Amino acid sequence: MINDWTVTFLVYRQKGQEPGHFDTFKVEVNPDEYVLDAVERIWSFHDRSLTFAHACHHSTCGACGMRVNGVEKLTCITPIRSVTTNGGTVKLEPMRNFPVVSDLVVDLGVMFRRMESVGHRPVLPLADEPAPTPAKPPRPEDLETIRLADCIECGLCISACPVATTTPAYLGPAVLAGAQQHGLDGNRPLLALVDCKDGLWRCHSVFECSSVCPSNVDPARRIMDLRKQVLRARILRFFGRD
Amino acid sequence: MAEMTSKQITSENSGLWLIKIITGLLIIVILAIHLVVNHMLGTEGGLLTYADVVAYYQNPIIPIMEAAFLICVVSHCLIGLRSIIIDLHPSQKVLTNITWLLTALGAVSIVYGIWLLFAIVAQG
Amino acid sequence: MSNLRNKPSSSNWFKWFDPRRRDVGTFAFILNRLTALGLTLYLFLHLIVLSQLSKGPEAYDAFLKLIANPIYMLGELLVIVAVLIHGLNGIRVGLTSFGIGVSTQKQFFYALMVVAIICSLFFAARMVIG
Repeated sequence: MINDWTVTFLVYRQKGQEPGHFDTFKVEVNPDEYVLDAVERIWSFHDRSLTFAHACHHSTCGACGMRVNGVEKLTCITPIRSVTTNGGTVKLEPMRNFPVVSDLVVDLGVMFRRMESVGHRPVLPLADEPAPTPAKPPRPEDLETIRLADCIECGLCISACPVATTTPAYLGPAVLAGAQQHGLDGNRPLLALVDCKDGLWRCHSVFECSSVCPSNVDPARRIMDLRKQVLRARILRFFGRD
Repeated sequence: MAEMTSKQITSENSGLWLIKIITGLLIIVILAIHLVVNHMLGTEGGLLTYADVVAYYQNPIIPIMEAAFLICVVSHCLIGLRSIIIDLHPSQKVLTNITWLLTALGAVSIVYGIWLLFAIVAQG
Repeated sequence: MSNLRNKPSSSNWFKWFDPRRRDVGTFAFILNRLTALGLTLYLFLHLIVLSQLSKGPEAYDAFLKLIANPIYMLGELLVIVAVLIHGLNGIRVGLTSFGIGVSTQKQFFYALMVVAIICSLFFAARMVIG
């Protein structure tokens, strides 16, 4: 492994109730490694008190989301080459809109609980979540195959959403996308949950969520689709046909 | 579990949001007409004198169109303002008060505007 | 204990208007919000000023003379630009909200803003020449 780049990392640090600050680490890296690898190296060789979340290292667990140079990224699949140059600087900060636990780790509890309350399915049949642009359409016998859901509950979309910045009550793109994935289908409690002032109608079509999603969820498209479903359900209800 | 459901009135916003979209569309349509007839037709390219305005308002279509325009713009504007305020996460009590305030403001604006329309038509 | 900083809060409202490191959708959101607030102000000013009409021909004509001043004309142009931006972006928001054009919403935004710029230039020219 040739670590022929020297990159300066500005890492957000914060413990307990102290104010946050940035620590500087000069690290030798291979540009084709990922940002998460650099964070690990900083922890290993420079500062064992650095706290960061990571698990699978292959964009399945959703643990390693953070802001790299101000932009939400899943660091295990973000090559260093894509965010800086040799001799450059990389700023690492925790995700927005979640309380910071320590350094780069935030508390995603609210999101996890909400995902469960809308019935987001972490495994589901292919028929319910096909690939957006398949090379060829799936065979009918494959439609029942179960697959892991696109959404890995990383929270990057909620971090990027400007509405989530000012109100903790907003369910958020991940949760609304999860509700869409689950499907409304006459589910009254779910309908009430999303069709409230802190659900669907807080979305202002900023589309940042889809822009930062590392996993093809396209939450914005799902929110718009959910709106259509909700309107249809409401109109049917209005005419007493539900 | 307060973080999960908004215990406030459910479905309150889907109707308002629909009104926002529909008034938005109507505004675009009526605004185009409003601009063209107010500022591009008439003597010397536009309603330049008081007499022009009064004469123009004698045609009954015009005050009706302007009244519709007024209602659409005021509704769209105040519903939009309320949306922005909800983004700031006010308490239920504050939000209810603000909603009443905006409703009152809207009603007053519309009544005043329609009175003004009558006043102008009456000048002719 | 988690930190209070970084939590969602209404005191973060100014962050809505920071476009740095953001995608074009944030830019559209900022423009829409700013023009909305500006046009709200204009709406109520306009309604108040229209009361001049009810005061008779002299008051109205005097007012028209007042607003022939370039400062007011610039203000009027800003209002037109705001209406164009808010209205055209609004078309995009309305359509995508019904699921139409979601996959091409960025290009749609750029195209609409080009239209807004062209129309703004047209109205500006008309103002300067007329």
